[in-house]
Amino acid sequence: MARNSLPSIEITDNINSFNSLNTNIVNITTGIDDEKRQILEWLSPLEPNRRHHSVRNERIDVVGNWFLETDEFRKWSGACGGDGCDPQVLFCYGDPGVGKTYLRYDKNLPSRE
Amino acid sequence: MVGLYCDFLSQHEQSTTNMLGIILKQFVSAGGVPEHVRQAFEAARKGFGGRCLRLPDMLELVKTTMASLPQVFICIDALDEALPKHMLDLLRSLQGIVQGSPNTRIFLTGRTIVLGEIKEIFSTRAVMVSISPTKEDIETFLVRKLESDTERDAMDDSLRADILRIILEKFSEMQVGKSSVFPVKSRSLANYFV
Repeated sequence: MARNSLPSIEITDNINSFNSLNTNIVNITTGIDDEKRQILEWLSPLEPNRRHHSVRNERIDVVGNWFLETDEFRKWSGACGGDGCDPQVLFCYGDPGVGKTYLRYDKNLPSRE
Repeated sequence: MVGLYCDFLSQHEQSTTNMLGIILKQFVSAGGVPEHVRQAFEAARKGFGGRCLRLPDMLELVKTTMASLPQVFICIDALDEALPKHMLDLLRSLQGIVQGSPNTRIFLTGRTIVLGEIKEIFSTRAVMVSISPTKEDIETFLVRKLESDTERDAMDDSLRADILRIILEKFSEMQVGKSSVFPVKSRSLANYFV
């Protein structure tokens, strides 16, 4: 598994692993009109924000950052330039407790030279 | 960017329709309510008892919504914690989504037992990464955990150093064992603290 330096990964402005997910999730129940609230409730009863807050709070910076330098992640995220054949799905697998849930991407992280 | 966490404790509530629904819910929450979603809601409200969406209807709503967005990232954690039927339906639904939306990227995590289903359903559209902590990961994790230890009186520099040294030695032994002729099953971080 290659662990090259990560010069820059530009995905979108709001991708910061699950961090940006948090921003979207907290908006679910705040500051919305009644019709929108009804539609949101109708779409799904699930509310993943509590779990997400917990994961964010328990995450330890730096741990698992090697993952961002793998060829698989770089191809998937489009960091290799993209040739139209980039994989659309990235599956991270491993035993329970190895840290899969706590992987994160922060485009502001310094690359490892 | 949207996502969800599969959970053993919510297996029955986490139907495939509800899981796709939470994806759509996050899009709608972050922006306005798309017209096709509003129309589907109105149609459902007029139906008997304000009926819930069926999986094919929900999938179409998600696909239509995503087609209007330049790029979408969907993150789903712990696939193996969903009921097998729900997980397979979810993966097939995601396959339908990526087929019709080349800019969509899907990030999945799960135990190794799910690997076969991922390969079968996504074929060359998917890449896989085996996740296991490095020695640096273990050390950083341990240092942080020791720093946050609430039993301050029970800890001193000598004990702290012993904990770090012994666990890192064990980890190194396990790494050697993994590459031996008789592979040792990898263990998780959690196993160190049982």
